Amino acid sequence: MMSAKIKTIERQGVSYDQRLFLIEVFKGMRVTFGHFFRNLLDNSKLYVRHYPEVKPEITPRWRGRHRLTTHEDGTVKCVACFMCQTNCPSHCISITAGERNDGRSEKLPVRFDIDLLECIYCGYCVEACPMDAIRMDTGIFSVVTADRQSVVMGLDKLLATPGAFTEEDYKKRGL
Amino acid sequence: MAETVKLFVNGQEVEVESGKNLIDALKVVGIEIPHFCYHPALGADGNCRMCLVGIEDGRPPLVPACKTPVSEGLKVQLDAEKIRKIQHDVMELELINHPIDCPVCDQAGECALQDYYMTYDHQASRMRVPQVVKEKKLDFGCGVVHDQERCVLCARCVRFTRLITKTGELGIVNRSDEARVTVFPGRQLDNRYALNVVDLCPVGAMTSRDFRFKQRAWFLKRSPSICHGCSMGCNIFIDHNREKGGDDLIYRFRPRHNALVNGYFICDEGRLTYHQENEGRLATAMVDGKDSPLDQAIEMARRKLENARKPVFLLSPNCSLEQMLAIRALAESRKARLSGFSDAYIKNGDGDGWLIQDDKSANRAGLELLGIDTAREGFAQALEDADLLVNFNSMRIVPAAAELAGKIAGLTTIAISSHNGPLTRQAAVALPVSSYSEYGGMVINTNHILQRFAPAVIKNQPAPDMLDLLRQLGCTLTERTDLGKAMQQAIPALAGTDMSAFPAEGLNLKEKETDHVTA
Repeated sequence: MMSAKIKTIERQGVSYDQRLFLIEVFKGMRVTFGHFFRNLLDNSKLYVRHYPEVKPEITPRWRGRHRLTTHEDGTVKCVACFMCQTNCPSHCISITAGERNDGRSEKLPVRFDIDLLECIYCGYCVEACPMDAIRMDTGIFSVVTADRQSVVMGLDKLLATPGAFTEEDYKKRGL
Repeated sequence: MAETVKLFVNGQEVEVESGKNLIDALKVVGIEIPHFCYHPALGADGNCRMCLVGIEDGRPPLVPACKTPVSEGLKVQLDAEKIRKIQHDVMELELINHPIDCPVCDQAGECALQDYYMTYDHQASRMRVPQVVKEKKLDFGCGVVHDQERCVLCARCVRFTRLITKTGELGIVNRSDEARVTVFPGRQLDNRYALNVVDLCPVGAMTSRDFRFKQRAWFLKRSPSICHGCSMGCNIFIDHNREKGGDDLIYRFRPRHNALVNGYFICDEGRLTYHQENEGRLATAMVDGKDSPLDQAIEMARRKLENARKPVFLLSPNCSLEQMLAIRALAESRKARLSGFSDAYIKNGDGDGWLIQDDKSANRAGLELLGIDTAREGFAQALEDADLLVNFNSMRIVPAAAELAGKIAGLTTIAISSHNGPLTRQAAVALPVSSYSEYGGMVINTNHILQRFAPAVIKNQPAPDMLDLLRQLGCTLTERTDLGKAMQQAIPALAGTDMSAFPAEGLNLKEKETDHVTA
């Protein structure tokens, strides 16, 4: 037979009103009640952002929708090393590699799909990339669609999406 | 058990097999000595200097491990400061001109240079001068692509063409940092084993055009198997992977060492037979050329077989012994005539006396062992008054028997087939069946070596196993235990052996028989 474990917890509080708890509860709720009564009397000063008319400010560290970057001459930076796919904890990236003949490297992605419904926006792909080819700096945080297929970002969509920040701001993001 | 010697590694006593060099002998007991140029099939060259080890109280104190045979009481130093420095320095020299190609290099993940860098070097490069630029993406012929920049000049590939294939297409030209592996002008690699240099290359200097960029090495699952490309039955690794949303596909075959059968190598033709496992497969059952649900097609086949007065069974010489036994049992119960006629599998004059054999089937010796007639006359005679032909995965009848093909076309046929082909298209009932990468079994190669292989690939929609189909067609000998007993009856050498202790390298049946005779 297992004997019951008994742990005696000492009662908190020294004075009588502390031991009563009720007053302490109201003390703890001071901020909540403050907001409640202020908004009740004058609701023109609500602490609310009027989204979507007013968009939030996105910092360069924010991990939004992905994009693939290009060299200055427009060739894709990605060399299809599969580091992002290997590192992805949600297996949302699928790449097919192919032969490359533009003199940059030997290899490039012929298919690069990110399923945004599977993505958890952890940013591991960005950290794993040896070429700085994938970034999450588009500032796009809202992905809305009516069907599943259109949230699979293909190579074209990933390359077409521009970054939302200047190169300097992006580099300064302190990662 | 071979003779052993005792020696000391870093002061610890280990017992190893005698007659080997330090690298091979210590590898067996789990001690790795880094090396680039040494390969057990190509012998010690001693050019890479990566395997230098210290010998205490020895003259000279430093020796290449690949050229040092083990001897009693040898005191080997592997972790001394000076040895670590040598390994570190050799790595630094190797990496002076090595490009940082790992993201685009197929070898990444199975690269000796990467592994040794992480283990023995782990330093940033101190080179401040531009790297020597060499040729990349050179077509060496036979599907071999060479990258001179990645090469560490271990000369394994060069020695392979000189010592193994004796064709000598490759050589190293120039000296020092201008040295490079190349082919003679206008004379590319031209032998039937050329793709082995891709496996031999410790780095990514040799890549296979067929496999290039298809998969990263770390995604692949390596399953041991037996090549069914010819009657040699070379041991292979099936490297396969199921990509997201896709099917379990094979991406390459690699040789697996078996001293009894193929040594360290396989031929290029066999290596590329993996394509046939992925493509051209019979996916659905067909009745009269139209897709049909599998159970209905099986029922149809079963009824046709029951109603047939004179059925003929034709079985493929690629079937495993288990399948052959089961088919033979079904033939006996149905009073069917059984033929293993498969002359079309034999390509006369194609064999080279080494690994490539004339006979392009994996288990003809099994047919002979089970006493199944393979003669053309027998098959032709059986067809004369036959009213049903059941074809157990025999894919090739023509061109060896073009005139029989007409006869077959006029017959009602049931094709139990892993692949789509003319014989399945003209069949009254075609039933899909798994292929050798998907089932396990035993085969006997041309040298009478009995080998066992296990299933490797599991398809999303697995084709039914031959034995399952046979059971549904009314065969009573399909249980593993019964088949094991039948096998032990058929093969005296197996009698009394525990099948779970079946030797991994296979069993030489001929040797066993002669043993028996002399005893």
